[in-house]
Amino acid sequence: MSGAFTPKIIYFMCGWCGSGGSETAAAYHLRYPENVLPFRVNCTGSLSSVHILRALIEGADGVIISGCHPGDCHYEDGNFRARRRVATVKSILNTLGLGEERIWFRYVAHGEGKRFVDTAEEFNDLIAELGPNPLKERNDT
Amino acid sequence: MNGSKLPGAQDAEKSVLAFLKTGLEKRCFEAVMMSHRVPAGDGYAYVLIKDPALLEGASPLPPVIPVQGAKALSALTRWGPPKETILAVMHPCEIRAAVELFKLKQASLDHIVFLSFDCPGVMPLSDYVKNPGEADRTYAAARRKWESAKMRPLCRICNEFVPAASDLHIGLLGAEEGSAWLFPVSPEGRRIMDSVGLETAVSSDAWEREAAERKTVREKERQEAHQVSRDRVSGPDGLLAAFSSCINCHNCMRVCPVCYCRQCYFDSEAFKLPPENYVERARKKGSLRLPADTLLFHLGRMSHMALSCVSCGTCEDACPMDIKVGQIFSLVADNAQKQLNYLPGRSREDPLPASVYQEEELEGVEKPYVETYSRTGDRDGAGSENQ
Repeated sequence: MSGAFTPKIIYFMCGWCGSGGSETAAAYHLRYPENVLPFRVNCTGSLSSVHILRALIEGADGVIISGCHPGDCHYEDGNFRARRRVATVKSILNTLGLGEERIWFRYVAHGEGKRFVDTAEEFNDLIAELGPNPLKERNDT
Repeated sequence: MNGSKLPGAQDAEKSVLAFLKTGLEKRCFEAVMMSHRVPAGDGYAYVLIKDPALLEGASPLPPVIPVQGAKALSALTRWGPPKETILAVMHPCEIRAAVELFKLKQASLDHIVFLSFDCPGVMPLSDYVKNPGEADRTYAAARRKWESAKMRPLCRICNEFVPAASDLHIGLLGAEEGSAWLFPVSPEGRRIMDSVGLETAVSSDAWEREAAERKTVREKERQEAHQVSRDRVSGPDGLLAAFSSCINCHNCMRVCPVCYCRQCYFDSEAFKLPPENYVERARKKGSLRLPADTLLFHLGRMSHMALSCVSCGTCEDACPMDIKVGQIFSLVADNAQKQLNYLPGRSREDPLPASVYQEEELEGVEKPYVETYSRTGDRDGAGSENQ
């Protein structure tokens, strides 16, 4: 990891599986980097693309979105809808060269505490390697 | 597909108007919605024509698109379908946008019959208003020869100049100078041609060949132009430079046919924040451009409407600062639509991509999990068992 840079990472997790994963991690005393900021949303399907974009413009170096595994969504299909929405946001950022690799989408179940901390850790390392998000430093947005 | 050669060989526009007049007189349709030169002579507007005599001043091939036809149609049918058949003469991109608005439940297409034509493109609105009389003549000449140099940049690279979702189509490509074909695309279109008394005996082969050839050329040009745009706007520097002159008028959103929300999120109170928020952001970034969130507005709008964007270029026409907003949106939209294999306005049956999903799709989007991420074992208290 490059010396001084500590990335700021926003972790959007759904209220059922994703945040359940973080509870399981807590129960097992698993740790994840403190610069990963968890944000609970009711369902990843309810997460607006604007929130992802705003995070990246206003200071985040990366964004992770975790919802239930396919078939497990509390609302039947929120995670599938989220996948399409995230795919569209990633496509836009990719086309415009704004770093779509700074957005991760990964399913995490309620019991998968290790998967939750691994995801946070792995993403944190990736972003630390990529360096600061150039967009967040621009004051003319 | 067989069609009919419209009688009259001097001027394609006149032949089309004669067909519309007959149709209106025989009451094959009860009204026509089409572009009409405004009385002052310096522009065009959509009008709903009931009196056949008033078709005289109408223009099936207007040189500009001041109001996107889909918006006009939505205004007409927002409360439900008309009781009688209305024939709408619109550019292909306008018809495609109307189909999107229909799917978004903002327009009704019952009793609406679309008449489309091989679209040669239209001029930039800003060029047109400088000297309307001169522009009318320039456009008429350019349109006949299919010269695209005077047309809008997005029209020059349009590869959907023949729409799939219309009922009747006027073929101009491959037709002799001044003449036009009329093809029935749907059963409803055929019914209208029958009731007007037009036989469908002429083969469309010549037209189809010419249209297919032109489409191939256009697709290549579109890719090249998109690559140029992409090189220009790629990265934060390029993108912020492209939008740097934005004056936050939100005209692009207001004229956009598929930005249908009656309350745009970016105009809402939810988007206005207390001063502390702005001061804090200024502290973090050193300074903050006001009104804030210009880039977020454009990127957010893309994420909201890219899947339904028909690249009609109305946003670019409406931009007072000449930002190439339509070209950027078109580039972004093409890629987003390809990813979900969706072409807006292709058919009334294709569901909106954001409203459906496949269980197995978009494999690259989910990041595959590495079972034991290398650093996890080092943490205090972390069990190595998979929990």
